[in-house]
Amino acid sequence: MDSLPYYLQTVVNGILAGCIYALFAMGLTLIYGVLNFVNFAHGELIMWGAYFLFLAMAEPIALPLWAAVPLALGMTALLGMAMDFALFKPLRRANRLTLLIAAIGLSFFLRNAAQLFFGAQVRTYGFEIQQGYRWLGVSLTPQQLAIIVISLICIGGVYLLFFKSRMGKSMRALADNLDLARISGIHTRKVILSAWIISSLLAGVGGILLALDTNLNPEMGVVNLIKAFAATLIGGVGNLWGALIGGLIIGLAENIAVLYISPGYKDAVAFIIMVIILLARPYVVAGKRTD
Amino acid sequence: MDLFLHLAIVVAIYSIFALSLNIEVGYTGLFNFGHVAFFAIGAYASALLSLQGVPFFLALLAGIACAGLGGLLIGIPALKLEGDYFGIATLGFAEIVRMLLQNQVAWTKGPMGLPGIPRPEIFSWHFDTLPAYLLLTLGAAGLTFLVIGFLSLSPFGRVLKAIRDDETAAAILGKNPFAYKMESFVIGSAFAGLAGVLWAHFITFVSPGDFTLTETILVLLIVVLGGKGTLWGPVVGAAVLIFFQESVRFLRLPPEWSGILGPLQQMIFGLLLVILMIFRPEGLIREKGKETIDRD
Amino acid sequence: MKRLALILSVFSLLVCFSVAPLWAAESVKIGAAFALSGSIAVYGEGFKKCVDLAVEEINAKGGISGKKIEIVYEDNKSNPKDCVSAVRKLITVDKVSVLFGPAGSSNFMAAAPVAQESKVVMLSAQGTAEKLTQAGPFIFRIIPSNSKQGERLAKLAFEMGFRKLPVMYINNDWGLDLKDGFVDSFKKMGGVVTDIIPFDEKKTDYRTELLRANKDNPKAIVNLTYINEGAVQFKQAYETGIKTQWLCGSAARAPKMVELAGKAAEGVMGTYPSVIQDTKEYKAFKAAYQKKYGDDKIPIFGDYNYDMVYLTARAIEKGGYRAEGIRASLPAASKGFRGVTGDKTFDENRGMEHADIGIWIVKDGKIEDHKK
Repeated sequence: MDSLPYYLQTVVNGILAGCIYALFAMGLTLIYGVLNFVNFAHGELIMWGAYFLFLAMAEPIALPLWAAVPLALGMTALLGMAMDFALFKPLRRANRLTLLIAAIGLSFFLRNAAQLFFGAQVRTYGFEIQQGYRWLGVSLTPQQLAIIVISLICIGGVYLLFFKSRMGKSMRALADNLDLARISGIHTRKVILSAWIISSLLAGVGGILLALDTNLNPEMGVVNLIKAFAATLIGGVGNLWGALIGGLIIGLAENIAVLYISPGYKDAVAFIIMVIILLARPYVVAGKRTD
Repeated sequence: MDLFLHLAIVVAIYSIFALSLNIEVGYTGLFNFGHVAFFAIGAYASALLSLQGVPFFLALLAGIACAGLGGLLIGIPALKLEGDYFGIATLGFAEIVRMLLQNQVAWTKGPMGLPGIPRPEIFSWHFDTLPAYLLLTLGAAGLTFLVIGFLSLSPFGRVLKAIRDDETAAAILGKNPFAYKMESFVIGSAFAGLAGVLWAHFITFVSPGDFTLTETILVLLIVVLGGKGTLWGPVVGAAVLIFFQESVRFLRLPPEWSGILGPLQQMIFGLLLVILMIFRPEGLIREKGKETIDRD
Repeated sequence: MKRLALILSVFSLLVCFSVAPLWAAESVKIGAAFALSGSIAVYGEGFKKCVDLAVEEINAKGGISGKKIEIVYEDNKSNPKDCVSAVRKLITVDKVSVLFGPAGSSNFMAAAPVAQESKVVMLSAQGTAEKLTQAGPFIFRIIPSNSKQGERLAKLAFEMGFRKLPVMYINNDWGLDLKDGFVDSFKKMGGVVTDIIPFDEKKTDYRTELLRANKDNPKAIVNLTYINEGAVQFKQAYETGIKTQWLCGSAARAPKMVELAGKAAEGVMGTYPSVIQDTKEYKAFKAAYQKKYGDDKIPIFGDYNYDMVYLTARAIEKGGYRAEGIRASLPAASKGFRGVTGDKTFDENRGMEHADIGIWIVKDGKIEDHKK
């Protein structure tokens, strides 16, 4: 009979992963809700967020952590806004396939740009390795604890923004009906920009936390995009709370699953869940607007 | 000269691959982002059989059949979905196929791949020289072109386009969209399998890492660059892109640059895709009746 | 737009045809399909350094029959598919008669059939999978295979008192091979293998595998891993508080691994085809390396690569610069040849099974021979 600490550790790992996925999913679902398309390049926002921090801490910029993080997040937000300005705004009214293909192309471009600048090998932030705290046989390093705490803070922040602020209300209006929102005087350009900023920040923070836990490599965006999308689907498109729960579910599911199946399939768990949901909920398909 | 033959063979193989995707994306409007999975199934099926001594022709047919069957199995659930969701689902399926190939080591030798795939031998003609293989692939490409050409110019093709442009209207007129989409998907998958078989026997080595999202993006780029919904589009796209991609491989550059060249080239492809979508989504060869920019 | 396409195509064509070799006929070209980028570039870079050193030395002494050696490097990007293309390109475009093959048994074995089919000689200085030279008579290796290593590792585990342990191995030809060798021997000696856990290359997170391996808190874990993967694993094991004796194979025995893993690598042990470093030849090699590169940390398998160059040069001298000639004279050229890694006589399978297997251990941040 397997020991309790063994299962507990798995659950802890699952929650850790889940918090990070929740951040990804929330960023993705926000754009999906407000602009009604899957930002295929969201994975690259995640990845570049992590690399921006790497860049900020390396020579010649060499900032200390407390200064490097805001810089990295700022750059990520800029990247998100640039994406919208250069690509998604011109295609706002285009055919869905065109939009999707453009996003895929962008993602491909950004992924290889990272590989060009940083090389394909794994990079690390270079923080000291530390032994984790042990409690009930479960180990949690200080870094991992920080990840959980920071994720919760971000999630709290997004909740406040979305449900307690005027900007949040405007975003929800846009998500419901873009044209109506425009007519009723909501400054759509500003709202859209804000959505991109928040989505990028969520991606950036998530990326940094992920890289903190598992190091950096140019491919880290793609796999997590699909997991983020799976989490989004579980919770329902455009639903922020849903994204949070979806993220946690995916994190837990994939860690628990590999207790029983080969670890090589760990990433497949999220895909399989996603496919099952897509098939079992055909009404999700109707989307929020007619095309 | 060898180089030219090599390029021509790869162009021919990718033409088949692109023509097969075009039936789905260009004609039927299916956002298939997992097309590489069928390429992989065709390649692996025929490779595994050939390595066991099965004659090439049978292995070829098996590869096509398995790919088509894969299309059927994946299509049944996936085709119930619309647009974006279908795209993501096919992407997910393709990754699952890749992971199966990677992890079922007992069947597929996983990440180690299958080396030494024999060159084809049909009725005791050995196709192990480059010119011979070129003949083989040109023959296959020509056949594909004719078959797909025939289908697209036929009433079948017109219904596909009708479904692409307005599915509800097509349904009202009495056509069963699901059945047509399924047929298109299976045909596309089968021909992708054909391309895969030819690829495997040319390179003589396959591994799961050869069949990733990157290959899907490449063939998607070929289709949209060349012009979706047209017959010659995929062929022209393949010629342009493959020349660009493969010729760079043969440049005499210092080896230190190779770490940069690969990603740079891919970046250009990504950028090309983006620029195309903004400025000329119809591609090089425009579809008849769609001379204006494709926006609705 | 059509014009643009036309221009692109013409340009590409021009570029292709401009690759006509312009090299002086005075050099002897040897191909090298090394990992210069990608996940095992850390191995390839080290090999290149030692190969360059050997070539420099040989050329300084007049080259081969008066002609200078020139190595044509081709990056294999650390994956099997690009290994195949790299080897193909060296054969069809550069028209080499002999080439040094890629690191990584899987990568090498992917490309070997290509060399064999084109009747070009390909050598491996570090591929230890058993079936490495199976592709045919043009394929050679100058390092012993895994078979002896697995046995020696099992003996080591037994000697240290371990009777039950799990085995983690990297999911490729090398790992699979060594795992089989170890498991067979260990079981024959009466040991029990509690779990067999394959893991993928190039991943950044191995905690799931580590958690499973450490399930019953084993006193030792066999981990057949590479440099980058090993470093990640040992670090993550350290973080999650796993305390065990790590037993590895030859691929992790690298200064780079210790550098990446830091204090987490302390105490890690493993087997490797041993090389007596006290010989005159080795000391001279080390001194030359230090002189050229400024430090004396010989990269992993660098010594074998160095010998490979010398051996190949001897064969070319004897048999002329044609693939068939090289193939025929390699065994003769190797007879009694003492390289820095010892006696380099080929056995009948074009390999070198007669080496000793030594034990290494990481002590105080350095790799040392483990003396009993």
